Amino acid sequence: MNHEETQLISRCQQGDQEAFKEIFDRYQKKVYRIAYGVVRHREEALDIVQEVFVKLFHSIKNFKGKSHFYTYLYRMVMNTAIDHSRKMGKQIISSLDEEGSFEPSEEIEKWPEKILLQKELEEKVNGAMRKLPAEQRAAIIFREVEGLSYQEMADAMECSIGTVMSRLHYARKRMQELLKDYVGPQGQSNGASNLLKEEGVR
Amino acid sequence: MIDSCSSVSKLLEKYFDQEATDKERLLVKGHLQSCPACQHALTSMEGLRTLIKAPVEEAARLEDFPWIWQKIDREIRSQEKVSWWRSLRSWMDISPLFKKKVWIPAVATIAVLLFISTQVILKKIPSYSETSVVEYIESETYNIMVYESEKTKTTVIWLFDEEDQESSRS
Amino acid sequence: MRRIFITLLLIFTLSLLSASLSYGQVQVRLRVFEASNVGTGIDSSLKDMRDQFKPLVDFSSYRLLKEETPTLNLNQSVSSPAHLGRKIELTLIRQHKNFADVRVKIKREEMDVLNTQVRLSPGRTVSIGGPKHGQGVIIITLSAQF
Repeated sequence: MNHEETQLISRCQQGDQEAFKEIFDRYQKKVYRIAYGVVRHREEALDIVQEVFVKLFHSIKNFKGKSHFYTYLYRMVMNTAIDHSRKMGKQIISSLDEEGSFEPSEEIEKWPEKILLQKELEEKVNGAMRKLPAEQRAAIIFREVEGLSYQEMADAMECSIGTVMSRLHYARKRMQELLKDYVGPQGQSNGASNLLKEEGVR
Repeated sequence: MIDSCSSVSKLLEKYFDQEATDKERLLVKGHLQSCPACQHALTSMEGLRTLIKAPVEEAARLEDFPWIWQKIDREIRSQEKVSWWRSLRSWMDISPLFKKKVWIPAVATIAVLLFISTQVILKKIPSYSETSVVEYIESETYNIMVYESEKTKTTVIWLFDEEDQESSRS
Repeated sequence: MRRIFITLLLIFTLSLLSASLSYGQVQVRLRVFEASNVGTGIDSSLKDMRDQFKPLVDFSSYRLLKEETPTLNLNQSVSSPAHLGRKIELTLIRQHKNFADVRVKIKREEMDVLNTQVRLSPGRTVSIGGPKHGQGVIIITLSAQF
């Protein structure tokens, strides 16, 4: 943690709202990415961002600086997001079975095929993510979405690097099984990766 | 080849995550040039990363956050208004009392304590006419006579020697 | 939960303590005098004594031997010599704003010759008399100041 951030956190701990706003500006996107990575739902992710920063405001006094601040924050985001995801899971209105079908809305036949395909892909990925245990979901999001190193992931998840690697390995294995039609060379035949290339995301 | 493949496949994820050592990286790179299976595995991992990351990046790119700060600020301020009461409550920690399994024994304990303290502090005072001034009296040496006069508020305990009694009889 | 019990215990202890502090002491007036039929003198402070004893005994002389005003604390004994090897021991047993229960022991050579418990109230005097003293008797009077 650099000196400047240490000063900023110290000011936050003394109740400096300006300093807290600065922390918010620095980390809001990262927090949103992790939240969205877990819940895959815009409004839920925004609620999580709000909840996390309110929690942070009250709990930052307890941050002792033994770990990096971002690992402390990421742990908070992940725990909050997974809690939300569990609650949301009970309210899921569209469901995916093993074959990956989904319930279309009334208007959906008017959508271009490209968007339909994209929606189907997102639903597939969401469904597969929901099937992962919480620790594996956290590991894969920290790695694939935020690009954290194994050490950073170990700090955020409060476990060893070996455990991080194990969780990541099993998460990827499970996801690849569930999304086998969309990943790897055969995924190209379904147009998934081509679609993503068109969107200029890759 | 197969032995090499099985040992490299364990390093493939580390290689993909850029966590491999220099030696491991060279080993994997060299192996990938001639192993379609490992190439396929790597491509799958790349594909999976894209599937997971792409929608998130897109959503974050499109999102605009300024109004979120206002909501956070408002919520923090609303929580601060009740904080003095909350800190008193948290100090008193009375919320556990409202759980059923707690309040029943708590009320029972309070009732017992109140009963005991009431008995101790506010013991029933009998009227003077109900209570004798002399609670008890005993002597192995003397015979005793007690005389009480409410008029003069006097209580006299008179001790007689045995020889006194004999002489008075005689 | 622990804080609740500690708070309740504190309240209970404080209430008991305050009760004991406010009601744990009483000052008594102890007088020891000799009553006899030798002489006719009556000490001025004992003039009321004669009237009190008249129904029982009628002496011509009342001589004050000693007067003390010890303070009695709850369950703490106070001893005072009472001539001819006797000792008076007073112990406050119970105390209230309108009365005080006092245990009175007269000891001779560490042996209890009298053991009694009396209730002292405002204006009331308890007298213990009869043991021989010279040509008269010893009388001990006890009253409480509320």
